[in-house]
Amino acid sequence: MAELTFTPVIGIEIHIRLKTKSKIFCSCSTNTDAPANTNICPVCLGLPGSLPRLNNEVVEQGILTGLALNCGIRPKSLFFRKSYFYPDLPKGHQVTQCDFPITSEGFIEVHDDNGNLKKIRVNHMHLEEDVGSLHHSASDGRLEGADTSYVDYNRCGTPLAEIVSEPDVASAREAVEYVTTLRRRVIYSGASDVELEKGMMRFDANVSMKCSDGRWGRKVEVKNMNSFKALERAIEYEIKRQKKLMLNGEEILQETRHWNDAKGVTSPSRVKEFYRKFIVEPDLPPLIVTQEWIDRMKAKMPEMPDVKANRYVNDWKIPREVADVITDDKNLAEYFEACVSAGANPVRASHWIRTEVLRVMNENQLKIKDFNMKPEVLASLVSRVDDGKISTTQGKEVFDYMFANNCSLDEAVAKLGITEGGVAGNALNDIIQAVLKANPDVLEIIKSGEDKKGKKLKFLQGLVMKETKGQAKPQEVAQALEEAVKG
Amino acid sequence: MELYELNLYDVIEGLKAKKFSPSELFESCKKRIDSCEDKIHALITRTDDFAKSQLDENPAGLFAGVPTILKDNMCTNGIKTTAASKILGEWKPPYDATAWKFLRDAGAVLMGKANMDEFAMGNTCGSSAYGATHNPNDLSRVPGGSSGGSAAVVSAAYVPFSLGSDTGGSIRQPASYCGVYGLKPTYGMVSRYGLISYGSSLDQIGPFARTVRDLQLVMSVIANYDPMDSSCFRNKNHDFSHNENPSIKGKKIALVKEFQDFTLDAPISDAMNKIKKILEDEGAVITEVSLPIVARYAVACYYALAMSEAHTNLERYDGVRYGYTVNDASSLKEMFERVRSYGFGSEVKSRIIAGTCLTEPKRCEEYYVAATKVRTLIAQDFAKAFNDVDFILQPATPSMQPKIGEVDDDAMKGYEADLYTLPVNLAGLPGLSFFTGYSENKLPVGLQLIGPRWSDSELLHAGVVIERHTGDPKIPDLN
Repeated sequence: MAELTFTPVIGIEIHIRLKTKSKIFCSCSTNTDAPANTNICPVCLGLPGSLPRLNNEVVEQGILTGLALNCGIRPKSLFFRKSYFYPDLPKGHQVTQCDFPITSEGFIEVHDDNGNLKKIRVNHMHLEEDVGSLHHSASDGRLEGADTSYVDYNRCGTPLAEIVSEPDVASAREAVEYVTTLRRRVIYSGASDVELEKGMMRFDANVSMKCSDGRWGRKVEVKNMNSFKALERAIEYEIKRQKKLMLNGEEILQETRHWNDAKGVTSPSRVKEFYRKFIVEPDLPPLIVTQEWIDRMKAKMPEMPDVKANRYVNDWKIPREVADVITDDKNLAEYFEACVSAGANPVRASHWIRTEVLRVMNENQLKIKDFNMKPEVLASLVSRVDDGKISTTQGKEVFDYMFANNCSLDEAVAKLGITEGGVAGNALNDIIQAVLKANPDVLEIIKSGEDKKGKKLKFLQGLVMKETKGQAKPQEVAQALEEAVKG
Repeated sequence: MELYELNLYDVIEGLKAKKFSPSELFESCKKRIDSCEDKIHALITRTDDFAKSQLDENPAGLFAGVPTILKDNMCTNGIKTTAASKILGEWKPPYDATAWKFLRDAGAVLMGKANMDEFAMGNTCGSSAYGATHNPNDLSRVPGGSSGGSAAVVSAAYVPFSLGSDTGGSIRQPASYCGVYGLKPTYGMVSRYGLISYGSSLDQIGPFARTVRDLQLVMSVIANYDPMDSSCFRNKNHDFSHNENPSIKGKKIALVKEFQDFTLDAPISDAMNKIKKILEDEGAVITEVSLPIVARYAVACYYALAMSEAHTNLERYDGVRYGYTVNDASSLKEMFERVRSYGFGSEVKSRIIAGTCLTEPKRCEEYYVAATKVRTLIAQDFAKAFNDVDFILQPATPSMQPKIGEVDDDAMKGYEADLYTLPVNLAGLPGLSFFTGYSENKLPVGLQLIGPRWSDSELLHAGVVIERHTGDPKIPDLN
């Protein structure tokens, strides 16, 4: 009997907090780091008599998000009330677009295991309000069993985009690529900063298994993943768990499971899913988006990161890996393109950014926005090195000096005593003679023919380069040194 | 004549001419309330101290120093607001409802918060957690509901005008029962911000007064655009100024064909005949329109929608943030259950349960969704009718004021009685409840005039024409 194979069928739901100054239905600030319950008002607290009013900025960020996911924007959408009781939900219902969303279908491209591009279809993106946050006194940080629970409503009413994929994801790796690519595109659109450490992106996954013998496992919803790593581990765990059950001929329950990141397992949700029903939100008129509005938002959309990376590879012959690294951060890509606009060779500039710029950013925990070297400055440094006016080694010294002292290129060159054009001819010969004189033993070994691998010659070459402060061309040094040794 | 007996217009003129001071007026109204409130029980909260503090600040504006009373489902900053429910406890809202803010900015002075059916669910004031209100014209009878307290305070002349809210007739029916004028404006005419919701797509705030001209004055202040209410009108100008000599000559005023077979109490059918005659004398053409869908489906459609919306509007009362709560529950579920079991009265509970069933996933399509579709047809029914006629004339209620306690046993009968009022809310139309005179038993009799959307000011002009023939209601002697 042939061995059974299993194909995971995975759909992913993503919540992303949109970047707006005020909340979705009131004018309270979206700053959730403020002291508890300071950014609240009758509307986001759902006080009796208060009414929601839709923030235009949320609609605009929603349109941008939709466009970033290759979604169509629908001219008319509705808001609904999704009912359930929980202390972090002050109205007893969440106002959400769920059934009649602002976007139609879209897609995100990822690579399958064979390296081919495949589309993960996006069913839709809809707008909704976030709930408050609960703080429990219980040791496990959960509500059941806690003596006291506190609710902070600062987050309540901050705008969310919920993105629902079709079950097109076939592995944990694809899931991570899907959410990574999606996150990057949303950041590029300007709709959200999607700062993961601030919980601005949360994931749920629907996982089921198809067996080669024709059996289908039931769908299991896994909740509570707040990082790429958690998403990946939770899916891997769930695939393994379901596979084992199916191999043993056991039943997979259709249920909601909770991902425990510390233990690395999923377990049946302790809180029973609330019974949910929807009615149209009678306090909000239908959301009408005109074509003119969509066009205006389309004009605002920047080039998407994957398109950008392809352009770097195809037009500028930049290695794929470097192109991916640079386009991962929209601001870094902008920095890079500014360097190229300022006249730097794209391949050289990308290399400098990949090695030097990212190095000092990492070492100093900097964001590219806070990096003090203007792209034009880096561009002229790259060009001078390219032209051979400054050696690569010197260039790196100049780079570090400019970064450390926040000074101009000329100032750095002058301070480091670099004379452009380099050391050659008689000046170079003088240095070579001095080096030979100072190392008679080494010279003797070379002359005796024992330096078969040329190691001793390389050693002398290094001393000469050091004496010239790297201002001589290595080839010239090698040639002149060889002659001097023979002579 | 006592100052409390003055109509709004005369109060404003008197204050302007300094015939009396705001304080004298306040004292007169206060005395009136002191002497009648034990008998009528129209107020949940009295706000004499707040009114005095307002007067100390020398209010300015059209209503400077004019006393008023609000239905207790309108939020008043720092003043207890109950919606006549135990569940709100001693809650004091941190903000003013917009309609009250407009009045307050115009100088109006708050004397109290009026009794009502709990969360505006009912038509007798009998479902209030604060006890029943008595009709000032006959203390053994109900004032109507749900804005029964607001109608009673104007009828008994506590104040010259008040505000109520109307979801399915809650202004027009009590106005008719108490013998005052009440306007349910076009949906979106008056901001609902700060009005504790019952059926959000049906609720509308409106005024009670003892003359039509007084309604015009109140509307000129409260019918303003408010960005806090997304259903509030934009870009429309509404002129509620009084016309000394309005005319309805040539206007087509229709009776509803399908309603003609229904039985009316004799004083009401007599009033219909009397008003038809008056209208014809004024040159109007009395005609008939057909509203087949309204007649057949409006009641079912209304309750499906109102209860579906109501149960979601009432989900917020969970004891977590405000109002009545329990501190010794052993679980979250127990806390919710105990708060809501004790906090809500039986009428509210039955509507929450009905709303929950009507929107339950398996039945939602059949009831809630179907009702939203029927509602569109009902609006079309009216729109078609108003292509041919200017106004529709009909009772505000088919029967005279029942005795307190007489109506509570048969809920369905109460629901049927709303057939004359609730289609107006489904279609978002304006409806004027006007005084026509007294029955043999000295009970006031009211009727209703309905117009197309945004015809509120024309409706009031027609009301002025009728009022010239019927005269204004008498203030009952309650001393």
